[in-house]
Amino acid sequence: MTGDLEYRVDDSKTTQDTNDQTGTREPLSPSLQGRDLWRSLEDLSHTDEFKAFSDREFQEGAQNLEGEDRRQFMKIMGASFALAGLGTAACRRLPETKIAPYANRPDDRDPGVSVEYASTCKLGGVPVPVVVTSYDGRPIYLRGNGDHPAMPSDACGAMVQGTVLELYNPERLRVATNNGDDSTWADFDAWMKTRMQSHPGGAGLAILSGAANGPTTDSMKARMASDMPSATWSEWEAVNDDNVFLGTKIAFGAPHEVVTDLAQADIVVSLDSDFLGTESDNGNNPAGWASRRRLEGQPADATMSRIYQIEPMLTVSGIGSDERIALRSSRVPALARAIAKRVGVSGGVEDPQLASELKASVNRSFTSHEGTHEEVVVTDADIFDKMIEDLESHRGRCLVLAGGGQPPEVHALAAILNEKLGNVGRTVSYRPVARSRTRVDALTALVKDMNAGAVKTLIIFDSNPVYDAPADLEFAKALSKVEKVVYFGTSLNETTDAAQFEWVIPGVHYLEAWGDATATDGTVSIVQPLIHPLVDDSQGGRSMVEVLAMLMGDEQTDGLEILRDTARSRFTGDDYAFERFWRQALSDGYEKGTSTPTSTPGVSSGAMAAAMRGSNALSSDAVIELAIYQDGRVYDGRFANVGWMQELPDPVSKLTWDNAIYMGPELAKQQGLVSGDMVTLKTENGSIESAVMVMPGWASGTCSLSIGYGRGESAGMIANGAGFNVYPIRRADGMSLVSKVTLDKTGETYPLASTQDHGIYGSLDPSVPEAGIQERLPSIVREGSLETYQKDPAFNKGLAHVAHSLSLWEETNLDGAKFRWALSVDLTTCTGCSECVVACQSENNIPIVGKDQVIRGREMSWIRIDRYFKGGTASNPEQVVTQPVCCLHCENAPCEQVCPVAATVHDKDGLNVMVYNRCIGTRYCSNNCPYKVRRFNWFDYQRREPVREQEGLFAVKPSYYTSEGPSDFRRMQFNPEVTVRSRGVMEKCSMCSQRIAKAKIQYKNEWAQAGGVSTGKDWSIPDGAIRTACQEACSTGAIVFGDLNDPESKVNKLFSSPRTYDLLAELNTKNRVKYMALVTNPAFERSVHGHGGHGHGDHGHGDHGHGDHGHGDHGHGDHGHGDHGHGDHDHDHDHDHGDHDHADKHVSARNNGKVVNDA
Amino acid sequence: MTTMNVNTEVRSGETDNTQDVPGSRAPLVLNMDKFNQVTQQVCQVAEARRTPMAWYITFAIGLGLLSLLGFCIVYLIVTGVGVWGLNNPVMWAYDITNFVFWVGIGHAGTLISAILFLFRQKWRTGINRFAEAMTIFAVMCAGIFPGIHVGRVWVVYWLFPLPNQMEMWPQFRSPLLWDVFAVGTYFTVSLLFWFTGLVPDLATMRDRAKGKIQQIAYGAFALGWRGSNRHWHRYERAYLLLAALSTPLVLSVHSVVSFDFATSQLPGWHTTIFPPYFVAGAIFSGFAMVVTLAIPAREMFGLKNLITLRHLDNMNKVILLTGCMVGYAYAMEFFIAWYSGAIYEKFAFINRAFGQYWWAYFLMVSCNVITPQLFWFKAIRTSIPIMFALSLLVNVGMWFERFVIIVTSLANDFLPSSWDVFSPTWVDIGTFFGSFGLFLTMFMLFCRFLPMIAIAEVKAVMPEADPHFGDDHQGDDSDHGHADAKEAHA
Repeated sequence: MTGDLEYRVDDSKTTQDTNDQTGTREPLSPSLQGRDLWRSLEDLSHTDEFKAFSDREFQEGAQNLEGEDRRQFMKIMGASFALAGLGTAACRRLPETKIAPYANRPDDRDPGVSVEYASTCKLGGVPVPVVVTSYDGRPIYLRGNGDHPAMPSDACGAMVQGTVLELYNPERLRVATNNGDDSTWADFDAWMKTRMQSHPGGAGLAILSGAANGPTTDSMKARMASDMPSATWSEWEAVNDDNVFLGTKIAFGAPHEVVTDLAQADIVVSLDSDFLGTESDNGNNPAGWASRRRLEGQPADATMSRIYQIEPMLTVSGIGSDERIALRSSRVPALARAIAKRVGVSGGVEDPQLASELKASVNRSFTSHEGTHEEVVVTDADIFDKMIEDLESHRGRCLVLAGGGQPPEVHALAAILNEKLGNVGRTVSYRPVARSRTRVDALTALVKDMNAGAVKTLIIFDSNPVYDAPADLEFAKALSKVEKVVYFGTSLNETTDAAQFEWVIPGVHYLEAWGDATATDGTVSIVQPLIHPLVDDSQGGRSMVEVLAMLMGDEQTDGLEILRDTARSRFTGDDYAFERFWRQALSDGYEKGTSTPTSTPGVSSGAMAAAMRGSNALSSDAVIELAIYQDGRVYDGRFANVGWMQELPDPVSKLTWDNAIYMGPELAKQQGLVSGDMVTLKTENGSIESAVMVMPGWASGTCSLSIGYGRGESAGMIANGAGFNVYPIRRADGMSLVSKVTLDKTGETYPLASTQDHGIYGSLDPSVPEAGIQERLPSIVREGSLETYQKDPAFNKGLAHVAHSLSLWEETNLDGAKFRWALSVDLTTCTGCSECVVACQSENNIPIVGKDQVIRGREMSWIRIDRYFKGGTASNPEQVVTQPVCCLHCENAPCEQVCPVAATVHDKDGLNVMVYNRCIGTRYCSNNCPYKVRRFNWFDYQRREPVREQEGLFAVKPSYYTSEGPSDFRRMQFNPEVTVRSRGVMEKCSMCSQRIAKAKIQYKNEWAQAGGVSTGKDWSIPDGAIRTACQEACSTGAIVFGDLNDPESKVNKLFSSPRTYDLLAELNTKNRVKYMALVTNPAFERSVHGHGGHGHGDHGHGDHGHGDHGHGDHGHGDHGHGDHGHGDHDHDHDHDHGDHDHADKHVSARNNGKVVNDA
Repeated sequence: MTTMNVNTEVRSGETDNTQDVPGSRAPLVLNMDKFNQVTQQVCQVAEARRTPMAWYITFAIGLGLLSLLGFCIVYLIVTGVGVWGLNNPVMWAYDITNFVFWVGIGHAGTLISAILFLFRQKWRTGINRFAEAMTIFAVMCAGIFPGIHVGRVWVVYWLFPLPNQMEMWPQFRSPLLWDVFAVGTYFTVSLLFWFTGLVPDLATMRDRAKGKIQQIAYGAFALGWRGSNRHWHRYERAYLLLAALSTPLVLSVHSVVSFDFATSQLPGWHTTIFPPYFVAGAIFSGFAMVVTLAIPAREMFGLKNLITLRHLDNMNKVILLTGCMVGYAYAMEFFIAWYSGAIYEKFAFINRAFGQYWWAYFLMVSCNVITPQLFWFKAIRTSIPIMFALSLLVNVGMWFERFVIIVTSLANDFLPSSWDVFSPTWVDIGTFFGSFGLFLTMFMLFCRFLPMIAIAEVKAVMPEADPHFGDDHQGDDSDHGHADAKEAHA
């Protein structure tokens, strides 16, 4: 030992002598005498190496604790705890400016505990009350504010969800520029003050903004009108209510908003209104619709509303309807007139050409199964007649809706019809609109002024008219005639690109500024900032109100104070009461009792005549129409640079990253087009190029293209190259319909990234045997009519065949679990709107992967909405169904059996959990998952720029190989409660296990504080306390999460509903996510009230005998084979079905509820 | 010279020893009457001063492809598995196809060395050495794919049951884990078997070696073999034991590999016929690969008299037999899919044959079912160019068999919404061809530096090895001679 020590010491001395310049050390360390304890020989000998090592033991930070570096260290540590809620002053997330180390933690602040604030998002002037989840000062998640009187639920819509990502847009405008040179807010302030002197009384000053409302803005406007009477203020929205405005003006003499109540409507006739989708009215329409579709809690003779959807293209509302007539957009006014005529409105006209067209149009045709084997043909005329019948028999309980894309006459007719049918005050009411001009008129007037040189200074707030103004206004040209243009906005865009701007000032996001808004019901709602503007103070970051205050030379230019001042001016009471009122309003997100009542104006006498004006002649069939509509993802284009929106599949076409000209197979065939072809679409006023996508359900001669795409490089990296711009042919007189278009194939093709039917088009693709799809659909999406349901609520049990339920393995024993989490999905109330997809993405840090990856089939969403066409023909499917699919948390999970490293296992509550750290990425689990809900990180998606197309050999490299990674801003959105997954691991729905854990902690703590065991009760979590993100986002309440161990839980009751079924029950996976069969209320029998999935004929029961299967033992229960008549089936299959071979194979023995008892 | 030459005749450069003449034994070694000739002929490949130009060319191709493999693997590991064309439903494609393909190729070696040995099929001696080498190299190629296909290559060792601080064992219900054991065992035993067989020949090489390096290298691996009686005794025992050990492995490896599919839920994978069907397919492809390799090798190194037409004829018969078994399995799969009455199962097979991958299916059926049927004709069985072409086709067909099973089943499974198409990227293709580079490089090195033919064993099947060889008292001991004839008769 000693010798060894000596040797070592000597050895170290040698190195010491050569290396140590100080030469202070002795061969035998003095420490040997001084110290009793040592850790190693090196310690004993006190070498340099050991000194370095002992320092390293405390990592680099250790040195920082000494001397001057301590400050730096505290800063670094403090940054983690900084921020959050010391009023907005401390909300800044940029660590170098404000550091708040929690040496003394504020009482109301728990680091790592999220806080919720109420605020309001303005979506094109329509305020959406929201609740924002903030984590350590970072807003990360949005939901609707269901407590707000204008909001029926906590669903806020996919686009609003996406605004939280918009906040962190790495390409946001951050530096104020003056003629292209970097400048500061202070310089602008000075410049503007001087400039204002040249506008006496506001002459030559014009303001252009997006739709702006709210008491503060209104009072600012009013003051401006009085102080600067010559200044003009125009508001422009590309998605607007001009048609409603004009239509109600025709009907009532004054413009009104239409307030609908679908909950009261037994019969809904929608004239091209996407009331469940883009016209959902903050979810009020879907919620009302769902309340009349939900069968739970209803007696056995349940009722359901019936929706007649008349539309040129398939929409979410078309999917949610019971009877659908695909009709050219230009025919809808004629149809509305025909309804007027039929229900007895004097002046109504039924166009004979339209009538004969409806008669000729076969909606569905199949061989009946009602014993007679008769050919059943239902034409659109039959549906129309039935619709009239239904309307007349449901006076006061029906509703006629007109779509925003339809001309004013249709809106006027809808108002007239609703009055005639006695619906006003019941299913529909109105609220006067204060505006005097339509949006188009306002913009037209401004452009006129600009062209006349009357506008010297133009201030644009968050508006992009160069991109989205009607093409015939030629806004860009007018812009060049303005002397000085000032732009306030959050990002550069076409407008800032188009002209030399005097000033471009970074604007604020609504999550960064104070403000107020008048909600759709008139309630004053508060816009509350969650974070200090992510723009340097010197660079701007002012809200519009603050800028206006500055313009008008107000002393008070602080947003909060301005807001409080206006609120105070409206409040009657002392300051103390006001403070209480104000705090309550902030907490609630709105001021109580400020909603405005609706009215029931009478239709003016000349209204019908006015509504009948315009051309009554129907366009020729040969004419191709282009319907221009609002996309449910990018709105008017403003969300084009939000990755979630680009990667959100269109609810109908499942297309991501693009829009495309959709058309039915008939038109495509006639034009010689297939999906992916590029065409030049020519109109009388210019042409555009776009790709084509063929979709079933489009009216003949109709194609459609949504606005908001084709923004090129102007909008940013994400939007770059996304889709095709329809604005160049969107004119003030044809905002939503362009007639007489021609389509010329350019010969080029364009890759379309669809998340379903990847590269193929499902049942339209001849290379995949269609039988394979149609045969299995009835058991996958179990579906029946209301009549069927009334006769046998458990009708779906007969739609699938489960022979054996034996496990190969010993099943996971979940007995004795405290919780048994489960999720119920009601297909009856699912509209397929896809908001759950975005909510999940927001909550669970799901990356976007880029267009090329979606084309490869690598989208990462944990929940997807499957969309299937059932029956009918390729151009006219009988039905479109949607089915949200997330991880079904099988108790007998096939994924768990095959994982070689036990990375996916069951937790004690019965959830199938993914252990990311353990996963090595064999992907076997996904292969063995029958539902294909697992997602694999093929690349490091979170660190990779999600650009549309990656080119070249190293294009696929994650961005950490490049000098600049994705901005930290993007990362600020991450939910810290959810692991950010790395490359090479599998991921999937966790049923929001972080929310479950949070609730467990909360309720167990509460229980413990209340006395714990001494209370004599075990702790529990009340039903409804935990909601998954998808559940929260569902505007129709189709998704319900809860505990099956709780006999009173909602999910438990739903699980015991006869409508509930297991997806792919035959695999015995024992799902914790179950579906409730789709029940619709069609006016006529359908061919596809599925029975095919049961497939007795296919199973060949005759061949191997019933005895083998022992049906009684295997859960058929009441729905034994006797009911279904095998012989009958085989017999049917032998029949000659003519053209309808696919539909006929699946003709049900339970058509329209009639069980064929012929066995 | 002896009666054995009775039915040999020269046909287009080949000595035809495939005729069976009753009462006589077909020779397994042609044109040789001294043991030393065998040693000389086999060893000269390694000892020759000049290596044939063809070797250099082939080796260069192999090295080129090997570098491609290296590049593809580095690229894959640096960037992510996404460089392959995989997607959500099709999470395995080329990777596992290549794995199963190479494991399948690796089957013939052990079958020849172990099963044919136990069945006293003496004709195996001409081909067993390089068939075994082929096995080892093929399993090496196979082993690469499961290793590199995982998402996080750096923790792939978690597949092995190693004690660790996480106190985690692998999940023993997973067939992937069974694969690790099955392939690992197979590789180890095959390597041992091959090496054991090599020892006497390595000693011969050592003894003949001129250079110091060769002497040391061969000497080290010859394990001090001196050819004593005791050595031979122990050698024979060890060889027999290893043969017995390997025999069940021939069946187990591919059965276990087939469990990757058979134990899953997927229509088209979840099939009880898979184990025997995979084993038959593996032997089928393995023999085809032996033929593919043997033909150029015997040409290049002048071994036609040791790997005779009769050997090739025999192998072609095995290909015919296993080809029929594979064809039967294809048909049976269809029958069961129909008979099961399960719509998903039925669809999987209809889609396989007529869906988007119909071309792969028909390539598979024509190569694997129709091609081997030509081997019913002796003219084809003994025609070198035709059998070479057919063996290549079988290899192609068997690759597509695995591709069809894996990709078509995954691409269109239960829920139509998830269906997708797989299309390979250049990295997929590069890795696949690159794996041939590894195989070729290893095989070429083997050909160049090790005895391609089991010298000692071949000598044992020569007539000269008969204790009574050269005796003129045949009539006196006809029984003995008769037994010999039987034994040598392949």
